[in-house]
Amino acid sequence: MKETIRNTTLADRLLFLFLVSLSVAGIFLARDALSQGSDVIIEVDGKPAYTLPLNVSRLLSVDGPYGPTVVEIEGGKVRVKETHCRNQICVREGWVSRGVIVCLPNKLVIMVGGGNKRQEQGIDAITG
Amino acid sequence: MQLQDKHRIAILSAYALALHGFESLLPTPIPWLKLGLANIITLVALVLYGFRTALMVTLIRVVLASIFIGTFLGPAFILSTGGGLASVVAMGLSIKYFNKVFGTVGLSLIGALFHNIAQLSLAYYFFIQRIEAVLIISPVILLIGSLTGIVNGIISDILIKNLLKKDTGKLQNVLHKIT
Repeated sequence: MKETIRNTTLADRLLFLFLVSLSVAGIFLARDALSQGSDVIIEVDGKPAYTLPLNVSRLLSVDGPYGPTVVEIEGGKVRVKETHCRNQICVREGWVSRGVIVCLPNKLVIMVGGGNKRQEQGIDAITG
Repeated sequence: MQLQDKHRIAILSAYALALHGFESLLPTPIPWLKLGLANIITLVALVLYGFRTALMVTLIRVVLASIFIGTFLGPAFILSTGGGLASVVAMGLSIKYFNKVFGTVGLSLIGALFHNIAQLSLAYYFFIQRIEAVLIISPVILLIGSLTGIVNGIISDILIKNLLKKDTGKLQNVLHKIT
C-alpha cells in the first residue's frame, strides 16, 4: 500500500488535490448561496400572508386575536420580538435561521427556507 | 471475440456483481453514498484486458445487479447504468489519450468523478429538477467520491500488481506503464 501511494504520478496527486479543494470550496459556496436565497413565510390562520427575503432586515407587525405580533428579520435570522399572548413561547424561541416558529394563540406560523417543500411531494433520495 | 475473452468477462462480471451486491447490503448513513467497490473490477479489467472487456463487464454487472436487487428499469437502474457507462468511458479515454500521465489511482479518481457527474446530471434531468438541490448536493458527493476513488484506486493498483506478478504469461494486452 505504501508502495502504491509512493508510485502515484504527479497528475494523480494534482487531480486529487484539485477535486478535494473544488468540492470543499463548493460546499461553502453552496451554503452561502442557499442562505441568501431563503425566504421567510408567515402564515396567519393557516393561510400564507407574507413571503419576505431572509437577508433584508425588516420589522413587521402581524395582527391576530391577541393583538399585534412584532416579527423581526435581521442578518439572515428571524424572531418574534413582541407578542401579547400568555405563554410567550414564540418570543422565547429567539432568533431562528431555519425551521419554524409557531404562535398558537395568534394562529401564526413563521417558516424559514423550506416553505415550498410542503407542496412538493417529490422523490427524497434515490440509491443507485 | 475469443472463448478465452468470454471466460474472462464472465469471471470478472461475477466478481463485480458480488461486490455490487455486497455493497448494496451495507448500511450507509446517507442513501446515495456508495463505496463504488465494483469500480475496482472495472478498473482492473480496463488496465489488464482493455476497454471492450471493461465495458462488457460493467454492462453485465449493472443489468444483472439491478435484476437481483429488484431495481431493473427503475430510477436506481438508470442512475447506475449512466454512472457505470460514464465512468468506464472516461477511464478508457484517459488510458488512451493520457497513457502515462495518470496512474491507477488517478484513473480511479477520474472514474469516480465521471460516475458522479453522470449520476447527478441524470438525477437532475429525470428526477429532481431543482438546480439548487443538485448544486448543494454535488460538492458533498464530489468530496466523498474523491475519497472512495482514492481507496478504490489503491486497492485496484495492488490487485493489478499481484495479478501481473502471478501469471505474467497468461495476460494479454497489458499496458506497458504498469510493469
